[in-house]
Formats: sequence, C-alpha cells, structure tokens
Amino acid sequence: MPFVILAQVEGEQEVVLAEEGAVGTEQATETEAPSGIEVILPEIPELIFGSAAFLLVFFALWKFAFPPMMEALKARTDKIQGDLDEAETAKTEARTELADYKTQLAGARDEANRIIEESRKTADQLRKDIQAKAETEAQATVIKAQEEIRAERDRALQELKAQVGDIAVDLAGRVVGKSLDKGAHEKLIDDYITSVAGSGEAK
Amino acid sequence: MSTKTELVRGYAEALFAIATAEGDLDKVENELFDFAKALEANADLREALTDPALPAERKKAVLADLLGGRATPHTLNALDFIVEQGRARELGEIVSALANVAAASRQSSLAEVRTAVDLSDTQREQIRKALSDASGRPVEIKVVVDPSIIGGVVARIGDEVFDGTVRSRLTEVGERLKGA
Repeated sequence: MPFVILAQVEGEQEVVLAEEGAVGTEQATETEAPSGIEVILPEIPELIFGSAAFLLVFFALWKFAFPPMMEALKARTDKIQGDLDEAETAKTEARTELADYKTQLAGARDEANRIIEESRKTADQLRKDIQAKAETEAQATVIKAQEEIRAERDRALQELKAQVGDIAVDLAGRVVGKSLDKGAHEKLIDDYITSVAGSGEAK
Repeated sequence: MSTKTELVRGYAEALFAIATAEGDLDKVENELFDFAKALEANADLREALTDPALPAERKKAVLADLLGGRATPHTLNALDFIVEQGRARELGEIVSALANVAAASRQSSLAEVRTAVDLSDTQREQIRKALSDASGRPVEIKVVVDPSIIGGVVARIGDEVFDGTVRSRLTEVGERLKGA
C-alpha cells in the first residue's frame, strides 16, 4: 500500500524533525515525546494532507490509469474467451467431421459391398446365360448331326438298294442264263407265242 | 441336205429298186440284214468302216475280205457304195428301212424278232403267225440272236413292242427292289 507507506515515511520524517528539535531542548522534547501507539500514528495535519494527496492520486489513477488497464484486461479476457470458444467450436467441428467421415466410411463400405454383391450376381447371371446358350447350341448341333446322319443313312440305304437291285438282276441274269437249257428256252418261246397270240385274240 | 430320215429312206428305196430290178431282192435283203446285225455286234468292224481317216479303198478291201464269195455281188456292191458314200454309220437304219420297204411291197409289215437262242422254222412260223394276229396285219419276221436278253423273245413292229424276255422281267423286279 504506497499510500500507507508514504504516510509512514512522512511520519518518520516528523519523528526525525522532532528528535532534532529535542537536541536543543532536551526537556521539552522529553515531555512531548510520544509513546506507545502514538509513535506510529501520523499527526492530524499530516493525515489530512496525506488523505488529500491520496485521494488526489487515487482520483488521478481512477480517472486516467484504470480505464485503459481495465480495457486491456477486458480485451485480454475477451481474447482468451474467444480463443476458448474458437477451440470449442473447432473441437465440435472436428467431432462433427469425424462423425461425417465415419458415416461416409460406412457408406463407402456399404457401397463397396453392394458393388461386390452386384458384380457377383451379374457374373452368376452371365455364367448361367453362357451355360444355357452353350447347352442350346450343343443340343442344336446334336439334332443337326442326327438329322444329317439320318439323311446320310437314308441316302446310303437308297443307293444300297439300287445297287443291290442292279447286282441282284445282274446275278440273276447270269444264273438264269446259265441254268436255261434248251427245253427252258423252248418253253419261254412257246409261252411268248401263246401270250402274243392271246393278246391278238383279245383285241 | 435332207433330214436323216429322208436320207435313210432314199438309200433304202434306191437299194430296193436296184435289188428288185436285178430280181434278187430276197437274197440281197437278207444278206444286208445279216451284215447290219453283225456290224451292230462288232464294234471294231463298225469303227473301221466309219473311220473318216481310213481311205474308202481300205474299207472296200475289208468288205471284200469279209463277204467275198459268201454274198452275192449285188450285196457287196451295195455295201461298197454305202461305205464309199461315208454312210456306214447309217447302214443299220438303211437296212431296216430297206426291209420295211421290201415288206411293204409284199403288203406286210416287218417284225424284228430278238431271241436268246436260234429259232426253228416251226417256231419262226408260229411267232410270225402270232405277231400277225396280234398286230392285225401280215407280218414278215427277221430274227436276230441276242444272248443279252437271256431268254424269251422280243418283237418290234414299227413302234409296237411285244416284250417277253427274261431280261425285261428281271429289270422289272430290280426296279421293284429299288423302289421298296
């Protein structure tokens, strides 16, 4: 407390001055010498002056020094508060973003799973389609081959029949030709004559 | 140039006229018929007589070798003439036409009869009679022995055919086999 100290200093000076006066007038000094609590108590005028000075200084300080100081203090408080608020906001934001990221990540994972599932389904469908197509084609090929074989067989059979017919006729001709003796020839000729004559009668 | 039918007919009528004038129609006709059938059966002879590269003299020499002394000079001369004219290819048709003309001159038709074996005179007469009855007009027959018919007889009078051969019956059976 500077004001108190100042008062004390002034008091001490008073004391010193009092002691110096006492050198000349030792007796007077001894009778007026303060004792007890009075030693530290200021004189009344001094108290008035001190109080006035104190008030003056206090007023001056209150008037000129305090407002900027208070202002600076308030600014600082505000700044700190602002920083704190900002930090809080940033934290909240960070938390929100984190949540967003987590949501997005989950979404991406779901999406990836969906795509994989879809791909699997598509591949499965494709495989089934290809299989079905291949089976159809194979069946068509088999049917076609069977038809061709049947046609070929029929043709071969037809050719064989024709050849067998020719061969049979040829062989029969040879066999019959050799086996026909004079009597058989005569009979054939007689039969011919009979049949031709018969056809003439029929006309 | 006339058509082939007219040409063949022209040659046949000329030959008929000459043979009749010479009073040797039957013999010439029969010899020519036999030679034509022999030519039909012998591919080498046919080729030799129709070969344009072979001179006519050589062909006539071949004919003389084959028929000299066995046929009447009229027949040989007729053949020489046909070969010299380069008509050996049409000889068969000319001879057939001649036979038809000759038969017609006797008011009858000609039947070409093919058999596997030679026929006896009785059989010829029976066939002639049967064919006459069947066709409704007098028929003369010329017999050709053709083993390829195997057995039986086939007769052709103009466009009419009386088929009784084993060959045709076998062919019929063969067709039925093919159709089955």
